[in-house]
Amino acid sequence: MEYLMFVVVDPTGEPSDESPEAWVEELDAKGIRLHGDRLRPVEDATTVRVRNGQVIVTDGPFTESKEWIAGYDLLECDSLEQAVEVASKHPMARAGAIEVRAAWPIDFADFPESAK
Amino acid sequence: MKYFMFVVEDPTAEPYIPEEDNIAEWVEEMTARGINQSGNRLRPAIDARTVRRRGDDLLVSDGPFTESREVIAGYDIIECADLDEAIEVASKHPMARFGSIELRPFWDWNA
Repeated sequence: MEYLMFVVVDPTGEPSDESPEAWVEELDAKGIRLHGDRLRPVEDATTVRVRNGQVIVTDGPFTESKEWIAGYDLLECDSLEQAVEVASKHPMARAGAIEVRAAWPIDFADFPESAK
Repeated sequence: MKYFMFVVEDPTAEPYIPEEDNIAEWVEEMTARGINQSGNRLRPAIDARTVRRRGDDLLVSDGPFTESREVIAGYDIIECADLDEAIEVASKHPMARFGSIELRPFWDWNA
């Protein structure tokens, strides 16, 4: 089952300059980490909304928060417990926080014919 | 240019109309154009776990990393020529209307 990890910068984190390189190498070798990357800082975010048929584009993230997502990793794990264990070994679990979310694939067969 | 699209539930959005949720059409169009690389819906935020290590403690809490009225409901990874194209792609996603979409450029480690 796929789990998405959000790698979060959190001001309550402990100072650390540990690179995630060893974590990446170990989990890639085990076939647990499918892919992942760093994202540009929130200052470079663009948020897009459509309201009353108008496209509204704003600079910045979808919500203002002291914590912000700095990257992601996609994992293949047997269980949420395993995904939490894998997340806890990422250096950013100490320097920030990691949110783990299970994938929930959409069954397109469930969609009304009119929406297709 | 590669962008991470956060697909977000937003209480300020327009009311959800299932018959007008053209997500299947969006996926089909963006895959045919070679834009959509991968993506998925995510289990509701209530099923999220947030993991922190502090001192010798491992802290695992239920729910997302921040309390917010807006909640990440899914993601897509898209490859676009530039930000203008990424905005066009995001604006066609049904959740741009029924929620909001955040675009974040990838930041290559080697860049």
